[in-house]
Amino acid sequence: MAFIEVENLNKQFIIRKKREKGQLMRPKEEISALREVSFQVNQGELVGYIGPNGAGKSTTVKILSGILTPDSGRASVDGLVPWADRKAHVRRIGVVFGQRSQLWWDVPIADSFALLKEIYHVPEAAYQARMGELTEALQLGDLMRTPLRLLSLGQRMRAELCGSLLHSPSLLFLDEPTIGLDAVSKLTLREFLQWENRQRGTTILLTTHDMEDITALCSRVMVLGHGRKLYDGELTELLARYDTERIITARYEEEISGTAWPEGCQVRRNGENWIITYAPEKIPTAEMMARMQQAGHLRECTVQPQNVDRLIARMYQEMEL
Amino acid sequence: MMNRMRSFRTYGAIFRMRRRMETQYRGAVLGGVICQVFFGLVLIAVYRALYAGNPQHMALSAITTYVWLQQAFFRMLLASDPDLMEKIRTGAIAYDLCRPLSLYGYYYARILAQKWMGSLLRALPMILLAILLPPGWELAAPASWAAMGCAAAALLIGLCCVSAMENITMAFTMRTLDPRGVQAMMNLLMMTFSGNILPLTLFPDRWQRVITLMPYAQLLDAPIRLYTGEYALGEAGRILAIQAGWTVILIGIGAYLWRRNQRRLIIQGG
Repeated sequence: MAFIEVENLNKQFIIRKKREKGQLMRPKEEISALREVSFQVNQGELVGYIGPNGAGKSTTVKILSGILTPDSGRASVDGLVPWADRKAHVRRIGVVFGQRSQLWWDVPIADSFALLKEIYHVPEAAYQARMGELTEALQLGDLMRTPLRLLSLGQRMRAELCGSLLHSPSLLFLDEPTIGLDAVSKLTLREFLQWENRQRGTTILLTTHDMEDITALCSRVMVLGHGRKLYDGELTELLARYDTERIITARYEEEISGTAWPEGCQVRRNGENWIITYAPEKIPTAEMMARMQQAGHLRECTVQPQNVDRLIARMYQEMEL
Repeated sequence: MMNRMRSFRTYGAIFRMRRRMETQYRGAVLGGVICQVFFGLVLIAVYRALYAGNPQHMALSAITTYVWLQQAFFRMLLASDPDLMEKIRTGAIAYDLCRPLSLYGYYYARILAQKWMGSLLRALPMILLAILLPPGWELAAPASWAAMGCAAAALLIGLCCVSAMENITMAFTMRTLDPRGVQAMMNLLMMTFSGNILPLTLFPDRWQRVITLMPYAQLLDAPIRLYTGEYALGEAGRILAIQAGWTVILIGIGAYLWRRNQRRLIIQGG
């Protein structure tokens, strides 16, 4: 049996809309947050969970962390049913909701950690060892006596992670952990997650809209849209399906005009730069380069792949999300 | 047994944490004390005017004592934990739901700590001040040392009782997501029937029989009447039993509501 087993999970929410004239009751609308979602995750995997806003990602995380009960379907994490064996289950998991805080606003973060230690009944020796490890890896040493309200967003997120991991959970849910962070903080956070995953074998399920989080951390991704699972597999394979275009940025020695660009490519101009988007499958790169040389004296040019966010946007469009 | 001990320690730790938060805002304490002293003086001025024209069966000093003790522990009655409200409104409560704790116990410990520390911090300076006021305005000494002891015990039970009430309000807030409706109604009942606006001792005798049995009278009215000797020492056992009875009932209702809440949750935002 896999570490996380999810089978045909369904969850609907009922939303009451505004009452129109002539209606006695407010009309109900049922929204399916999850439809027949099934997947398995093995121990020690680091899985990315993506999809547009409202796709059902957070609902899945909430069901798997025992907060919500699904309407139908089965799920187990390490042999426990999250919503049925809630207390036993939550002892073994850690959760980070990127947009919320679990630490106390007005007291030094060390004191919030001490309270979490009591809540999870972590023995003193284990706590000391784990805190030593986490404070070093997350660079929290100097911040321990600082109240949460005085920390920057990046420092706060590191503190939140420490709080979610100090009871050494075997499974960690991360719901948009890098939201709003600067580049340095993001990198630190990613490195830490990799370290935690490799060092301790912690299974991590990561939901995010930041595709760099996914490319840097996850080899496996699941795509969710309108409550259905649309893709589950290697990230590279998923990207290859949509990664059909290349972008050339070129500069010429002189002003050029009236060039006959090949049929089917898009050309934009940005100051001195010519930006050409084309599909190598239709127009071979050699042909493209030949045409560009005919146009004038080429000073420099670069060929780039599409940026990942665009790929994902295209994927969502094609999947009609 | 071992488990029970450990979870008791956990709720104790939550209590201490929340209690400590309450000591952080000295400015709020000072503001509260000034406000409550002002209210106390105004109320006493009104009762003095009433007594000047038409003396009631209760001694004026019993009334002023009643007013001061009500004002001193005002914070116990009317003050919801803003952090808890915020958590429910924004959905940060999601974190509390994935802790290996009973939600009822978690919130009960927090509410108890807030009401205990919040009212203690304000009550001590106010009581000191009120003792020093001239006769006719002052907080009088307790009827006896024994009465003082019974009053203290009754105050502790009252604190547990009011925390249970507050946790019921929280359970409803969890459903409606906005505390204002429920709170406005509860506050009106609270202010009237706890004796905060008009001492319950001044209500007509027939009313008294009903009012003193209501849960609101168990919070501050019962301890104050034990303090002033309005309730004789012989009655203390019965009074404490009524208080404890209500506390148990209200905790039962609250725990049931929270269990139901937990089964039908929708967390706000994402």
